[in-house]
Amino acid sequence: MTLFEQSRSVRKTLLILLLPAGILLMGLAWLVHGLLLERMSRTFVESRLEDEVAFLAHQIRLSGASLETLQTGDYFEEVFHHAFAIQGPDHTLISPQQWEPILRPLLTINQEGTLRKTYPNAADGAPSDILAVRKVFQVGDIAIVIIVSEDMAVLQDSQSELHAWTGVVSMLLILLLVAVIWIGITLAMRPVISLQTALRKLQGGVITRIDERTPEEFQPLVRQLNQLLDTLDQRLERSRDALANLSHSVKTPIAAVRQILEDTERPLPLALREEMAARLNDIDRQLEAEMRRSRFAGPQVGKSAQPVKQARDLLWMLGRLYPDKTFELSTGVSEERRWPVEEHDLNEILGNLLDNAGKWSRRCIELSLRETRGQMRIVISDDGPGVAESALGSLGTRGLRLDEQTPGHGLGLAIVSEIVQRYQGSLAFTQKDSQSFMATVEVPIERRSD
Amino acid sequence: MRLLLVEDDRLLAEGLSSQLEKAGFSVDVTGMAKEAITLGEQEDYRVAVLDLGLPDGNGLDVLRRWRGNNALFPVLILTARGDWHDKVSGLKAGADDYLAKPFQTEELIARLHAIVRRSEGRVQSSLKVGKVELDENRQNLKLVDGSEHSLTGTEFRLLRCLMSRPGQVFSKEQLMEQLYNLNESPNENTIEAYIRRLRKLVGPDTIATRRGQGYLFNDTV
Repeated sequence: MTLFEQSRSVRKTLLILLLPAGILLMGLAWLVHGLLLERMSRTFVESRLEDEVAFLAHQIRLSGASLETLQTGDYFEEVFHHAFAIQGPDHTLISPQQWEPILRPLLTINQEGTLRKTYPNAADGAPSDILAVRKVFQVGDIAIVIIVSEDMAVLQDSQSELHAWTGVVSMLLILLLVAVIWIGITLAMRPVISLQTALRKLQGGVITRIDERTPEEFQPLVRQLNQLLDTLDQRLERSRDALANLSHSVKTPIAAVRQILEDTERPLPLALREEMAARLNDIDRQLEAEMRRSRFAGPQVGKSAQPVKQARDLLWMLGRLYPDKTFELSTGVSEERRWPVEEHDLNEILGNLLDNAGKWSRRCIELSLRETRGQMRIVISDDGPGVAESALGSLGTRGLRLDEQTPGHGLGLAIVSEIVQRYQGSLAFTQKDSQSFMATVEVPIERRSD
Repeated sequence: MRLLLVEDDRLLAEGLSSQLEKAGFSVDVTGMAKEAITLGEQEDYRVAVLDLGLPDGNGLDVLRRWRGNNALFPVLILTARGDWHDKVSGLKAGADDYLAKPFQTEELIARLHAIVRRSEGRVQSSLKVGKVELDENRQNLKLVDGSEHSLTGTEFRLLRCLMSRPGQVFSKEQLMEQLYNLNESPNENTIEAYIRRLRKLVGPDTIATRRGQGYLFNDTV
């Protein structure tokens, strides 16, 4: 539906929805009012006419059905303001005279109760639309017919006047409704406007974070935005640090090596060659450490990995690289399950731990993936000799920064340890005897968006 | 021993080829993917060193072409990218080992010898029973729809055991004996878990259960 496209402005949507609905409902109320008014006035007139018929009948009974004694001119009409006709066996009374052509035929028809008649071609002074109540009754042996009737046209005139006034009031109410809707929408949209202003200020650098004191509906949005900003800041800071470290530790050895190569006079003895190779190794080590570090993603919204699939791939690969060792997977996690860890990060955790296990084990390595109480748990066990008891606690966390570790001597573990820390998890090593060594990673499965 | 060195950095290629020759290989060098494909298919090499970043193509594509055309000599991949994912895709494309640049020449030579030794022990064979094909060198499972699945060591040994005599019932004890070197104390549940995983890959009817007796590989499905 194009009318409710997502991209349309909220204000427009509300107006398009509320305004016609308000006008329609008002119109409906006005129509119902007209119908009810008509019905009410008819019932009211009918009951009055019936009262009059009863009154006349009572008078006639009192007078002993002698219609002459009722000959009191327009008395009844003056009292009741209604026209009437009374027919006895030998006498007929009709008042007022102008109604005679209408009421006389009604005396003879064979119908009792309420009658509604219209006369489109009524003579001057005669009514065009009447409501009449006809009653036939007996006084002794004498049959009497009474008709009391009212001109409805007069009534309808005043009725439509009232209805018209109601219409005018309705229009005024609609205008009021429009105003209220407009004010309501404008008030409700105020936080959006202030959010817009805040974003503009953010872009201009006037503020660094958006105020989280917004209506409930916007709080998750603002919080997410601020989190993203935090991540961006951290990343910028980290990459700047890394680059600074790198250029410092790479440029110096390059300068040294170039110096030696530029000096064409200088002989290149073995010791110097070795020194130059060592400098190049330094550069490589620094590069490797910083590059692997810069590839960590850390916890991120919208990133997840398939642990079982990745684990199988890595196990298969390591099985090929270490053909005389077996790599096995035991898992309670389903094949399709995703963990909120960035794919590359999970690969680094699993790959480094498995590679280490492959290096040190005798025959078999087992990787176990489990999920319990909102925690993902990775256990890698092998049948290798492990490390000395005293060094167990300092494995991978020996307080050395990544760039101070030597490749092949704990760089992998240091990387795992740093990634696990980023995800607020834990890395632990246990050793039962000289036949089994176990690395355990536990990471909480966080629901960041809650 | 003939060796094909595919490396586009001239300086590295020159230095490497002279050192490899010193180590007893007779080396052909090329820096282009196209030439590498042709050489690999035409010549009879015992081993190849393949750089992944080539000026006219990706080394992995070269490797896939070789493997697709039955050039089955062992291949060691060289690359500057040390990503785990890259390693997996390199091995999946058919490589035998992987070395990240920069490397020590001694290590490269040691690894080359290792993969050559390994390749000599193997017969170029795959076991095909029914609709399932097992690549014994790569521990890979190939299904009739062309999909390939990598297996862990135990999965591979279990399936190979079942496939070696299709139609014959293997008891759990027999199967456990085949897999004895996996865990210290394998139990029957472990076997069941592996069977479940294999059934997912080859289809539930291909590995049939004989109640109270064991499992058999059904090649008639």
